[in-house]
Amino acid sequence: MNVKDAFKLWIVGFCGVATMAFTPLFTVVPAFAHGERSQEPFLRMRTVNWYDTEWVGRSTAVNDIAYLKGKFHLSEDWPRAVVKPHRTFINVGSPSSVFVRLSSKVGGVPMFVSGPMEIGRDYEYEITLKARLPGHHHIHPMFSVKEAGPIAGPGGWMDITGRYADFKNPIKTLTGETFDSETEGSTTGIMWHVFWISVGLFWVGWFMVRPMYLIRARVLAAYGDELLLDPVDRKLAIGLLVFTVAVVTIGYLAAEAKHPITVPLQAGEAKVKPLPIKPNPLVVEVTHAEYDVPGRALRMTLHATNNGTEPISIGEFTTAGIRFTNAVGAKYMDPNYPVELVALNGLTMDKEEPIQPGQTVDIHLESKDVLWEVQRLVDILHDPDQRFAGLLMSWTESGERLINPIWAPVLPVFTRLGA
Amino acid sequence: MFRTDEIIKAAKLPPEGVAMSRHIDYIYFIPILFVTIIGTFHMHTALLCGDWDFWLDWKDRQWWPIVTPITTITFCAALQYYNWVNYRQPFGATLTILALGTGKWIAVFTSWWWWSNYPPNFVMPATLIPSALVLDFTLLLTRNWTLTAVIGAWMYAILFYPSNWPIFAYSHTPLVVDGTLLSWADYMGFMYVRTGTPEYIRMIEVGSLRTFGGHSTMISAFFSAFASSLMYILWWQFGKFFCTSYFYFTDERKRTHKVYDIFAYATLAHADKAKLSGGKA
Repeated sequence: MNVKDAFKLWIVGFCGVATMAFTPLFTVVPAFAHGERSQEPFLRMRTVNWYDTEWVGRSTAVNDIAYLKGKFHLSEDWPRAVVKPHRTFINVGSPSSVFVRLSSKVGGVPMFVSGPMEIGRDYEYEITLKARLPGHHHIHPMFSVKEAGPIAGPGGWMDITGRYADFKNPIKTLTGETFDSETEGSTTGIMWHVFWISVGLFWVGWFMVRPMYLIRARVLAAYGDELLLDPVDRKLAIGLLVFTVAVVTIGYLAAEAKHPITVPLQAGEAKVKPLPIKPNPLVVEVTHAEYDVPGRALRMTLHATNNGTEPISIGEFTTAGIRFTNAVGAKYMDPNYPVELVALNGLTMDKEEPIQPGQTVDIHLESKDVLWEVQRLVDILHDPDQRFAGLLMSWTESGERLINPIWAPVLPVFTRLGA
Repeated sequence: MFRTDEIIKAAKLPPEGVAMSRHIDYIYFIPILFVTIIGTFHMHTALLCGDWDFWLDWKDRQWWPIVTPITTITFCAALQYYNWVNYRQPFGATLTILALGTGKWIAVFTSWWWWSNYPPNFVMPATLIPSALVLDFTLLLTRNWTLTAVIGAWMYAILFYPSNWPIFAYSHTPLVVDGTLLSWADYMGFMYVRTGTPEYIRMIEVGSLRTFGGHSTMISAFFSAFASSLMYILWWQFGKFFCTSYFYFTDERKRTHKVYDIFAYATLAHADKAKLSGGKA
């Protein structure tokens, strides 16, 4: 062994020992979520703006029904780097199939297969779930775009109690049979696999009982293959050939007889409709936006006009499932929304008073909270296209909610003003 | 029943050599060859036709019978070359598929059931054993790899769909959910949430192979057979490239020969080996 080889061996050994030595130092804890914060801010802020998300059935027993529902707006500021939503699918972000999904509807239309959606429009979804695996699970609505990937919505915790062994999911087919999704087809499938594995093992075993390699190689090299090609092997091969083809044919015909009515896998396209566009008397445009890095605040200047007949109060700014509210927005806040995604009093304005009918006003709005850091949205400053998008929510005096999508380029502020 | 005694006699090994060769057979065959095929071939199929084999709702009548035989006949051909040309053992394809099946069933119960909680019926693998058996029978009966490529490889692909229909026919039973017609397989794929695998990922029922009177499966099977035949030839040659042993021998007149008879090396005297390897034998 020369010096080079010895060095290589030493390196390999060192890596092995180091791995074993350091492994116990790391605390091994279960992962409860799915890395949704690792998605870049432009994906979470400028594609799907989720709102009214509800986790109905926060605590269920195995076999109980729960719902995941809400609405989303496909941002007009859809990033250039992301493929447009020509083929999309509403999915559930969950740690494996802890629920089975019985139904999924977008705008009342079943969405078993994917379909196109329209940028700039709002959609309403409702997913019906059946509790399957006990545990404390983090569940997200998820919007998947073909060639762009999944875009996670806000995550909420859902608890399932009971025992998995009690889970049953019988479904009636068009042919009148009842299939249980956990077990249907298992026995037949395993039986056929065991049968064919047995035949395969018999064929290989037929040769394993005799010298297999070294001796045959010596004989083949010395005398050729005449001695090695045993006539009894050929007879068995002919017999098994007939047997195999016969079993395949009989099996196929028997399966056809047992399941005379079948359909191909369905691979269509869902034709979902967006929500109708509601008249909105408030017109809002962002004329300036900046992200204050040390202040953990997104500040923007809004040029707003109230074309309606009632005063309008701004109450909430939401982006990437995170909600910044003031007192007005807090009044309408769903108390079941995950608190870790809410910045109560995180929204301030230089003009807090309602915008009067016919009034045009420039408002300096600030959404400020440590959530910008915790949810890793501050990474917007590392994006190649530093922009934000979200939904501005406001309420008329009579309590009607108005939703204005807003978006703008973001300028970074790296030091405190005046510092 | 067998010619075992004659073969052993012809090998001209002492009794202890024969006993040792059997030990080597078992040590080589099960822990080394079989496990290596499990690892390599399982990964190969997972990468090339994995989703069609993992998921019930990918097993369509069009792409599943095309993709699976074409991508699995590969190792079968290479292992047939190795076992047939070096040992005249006609079980290369069956051995390969048995190893693949072992890997798959380990994955069904560890990766899919224990780790990811998907029920085994949702991730039931296809069987390729009837196809592999016929491929081996063809090689043994014809003793000709070209004929095996033409007849055996075609049979390999053609038999795939009918041999799996008894396992999966039930999954094409129709049902109606929310007023929508689905097959049971579709609904299984919908019910069992795969966060990273939305519906549009499925590559099923697309393309123009369905245009001949709706007989998609037949057309797919024949196309698969044709492509499998070509794939068999290619991978037989891979087997030849990777499994041919030889050494270079320089004679006393300084002429170098490429010698394929590896047993010549084994029987060389120690001093001759030393000559071949620069004095390091």
